[in-house]
Amino acid sequence: MDAYLTAIAIITAIYVLLALGLNLQYGLTGLINFGHVGFFCIGAYTTAILSEHGVPLVVTFPLAAAFAMAAAWPLGLVSIRLREDYFAIVSLGFSEVVRLVATSERWLTNGVQGIAGIPKLFAGWLTGAAQSYAVLGLLVVFNILAILAMLRIVRSPFGRMIEAIRDNEEAVKALGKDPAVFKIQVLVLGAALAGLAGAVYAHYIGYISPEQFLPLITFQIWMAIIMGGVGRISGALVGSAILMLFLEGSRFLRDVMPFISEVSMASVRLGAVGLALILFTMYRPQGLMGDFTRK
Amino acid sequence: MSGFLELAISGLMSGLVIGLAALALTLVFGVARFANAATGDFMTTGAYAALLGVSASGSLIVGGAVGMMVGALVGIASYVLVFRTLEGRSSVSALLASIGIGFVIRAVLGVVYGHGQQVFQLPLVRPWRFGDLRIQPNDLKIGITALLALLAVFLVLHATPIGRRMRAVADDPMLARVSGIAPRQVMLALWALGGAVAALAGVLLGIKTVVSPEMGWDMLIPVFAAAILGGIGHPVGAVLAGVILGVLQELATPYVGFTYKLALAFVILLVVLLVRPRGLFGRVEGVR
Repeated sequence: MDAYLTAIAIITAIYVLLALGLNLQYGLTGLINFGHVGFFCIGAYTTAILSEHGVPLVVTFPLAAAFAMAAAWPLGLVSIRLREDYFAIVSLGFSEVVRLVATSERWLTNGVQGIAGIPKLFAGWLTGAAQSYAVLGLLVVFNILAILAMLRIVRSPFGRMIEAIRDNEEAVKALGKDPAVFKIQVLVLGAALAGLAGAVYAHYIGYISPEQFLPLITFQIWMAIIMGGVGRISGALVGSAILMLFLEGSRFLRDVMPFISEVSMASVRLGAVGLALILFTMYRPQGLMGDFTRK
Repeated sequence: MSGFLELAISGLMSGLVIGLAALALTLVFGVARFANAATGDFMTTGAYAALLGVSASGSLIVGGAVGMMVGALVGIASYVLVFRTLEGRSSVSALLASIGIGFVIRAVLGVVYGHGQQVFQLPLVRPWRFGDLRIQPNDLKIGITALLALLAVFLVLHATPIGRRMRAVADDPMLARVSGIAPRQVMLALWALGGAVAALAGVLLGIKTVVSPEMGWDMLIPVFAAAILGGIGHPVGAVLAGVILGVLQELATPYVGFTYKLALAFVILLVVLLVRPRGLFGRVEGVR
């Protein structure tokens, strides 16, 4: 039971890291990133491939974030000036192309079979429960650092600028600032968080394959931040917790109702994410923790 | 040389299917002003409904009609239940909701039909030969059906009162409103038309390849690329762009491999958005 709770806490913390990145992009800046899972995927594969070749994890972790950033930058350069809904589709296409590359370039990624036997974190020093606690501790540190950075960003001139871009991009332009510059920076920063989340995920699960990086993951994170409350750090936390509760809850549901096959359960989960997206955008766009005074 | 031509013809046929779906996307975009990400899943719905129709009646034509009818109903339902409420809000909410609708459709199909692939049972026909060139009669029928459907859509748009009203709303919603055009009626007709056209594209795609719950969603990037390349909101452009895209994808297959077809559509999408965001036939405004 204890091990189970730790495992859930670890996965939730990974979701929180992803949600914080998306919250920075959409919640604070209004950037509609439908390709978040692409950066998550790049981070996971970077560290998996490098550590396979014996590069120490102290080096692969920063590189995972750096590679995700390096992918986000050109994507931002070419597409950030597009209309917001066009950018959404382009970013979705980007994440699908990333998955396509992971599927096709067998020499690098081992194709659909994926990469197995990725070394566990703290493998040399700790085992069993202590190891899980250490992973959780590391994630908590990452999350606290990310939250502190967010709080600092919100209070900085940069933060005021990106919130102004979200609220009225034309006004920002009229004041002589180029919104694109700030949007690219935000895209790259969010990608770094996703890449880092991917790295922890790869070393915690120990096995990655293209199947794990479907666009569904992106929209689960969207569901989390919309449910929790867009633009709120507490929203990212609460939303991720709800998401985890929902994903795990659906597993228990299957224990209660064994006549539902695992495959249909996956469909049911997909439908529930879809329904949540529809209902929240329709009836509670500000989310559960959101600002109720604002429309 | 004949291999090249055969690829081009195959590309033409799949291009017509892409063009038909892009037409559905661009019609809705022109009037409702958002990219309906559920277009692909409307296609899938059409294909499954057509399978049902075929197994009930034994006729492919009846099956196709059933598919289009169900597609129109799904289009109307998603407008009445969801998009009507979101009218007047930012296009982001409609886009997110359309992703949600797509997920729900795929979930329902996945639960009912499972994730296996199904096929339309067609009699095997010997290909027609012109010298070295071989043409599948079924491919030709798919192409002709797509062309007829396009013709029908253009007749609806240009020769019927409701089509004229649709074009009026697409041009200028406020002006249309003060001229006494009831928006509700136009929107219902639009979603029915969009749903039916997308569903037909799905049926044809299902006949050409296989039917699975993900088939439509997987087409979203090529379809969107075609709609942009043709100039968003421009029906003729969407179809022509679909054909161009289909041919390019087929011709590139020997060089880049089968799996990177989608990546090619993505690259074309990016290039068009960067170089000529209003597409081949886009109007002056050039939104991007």
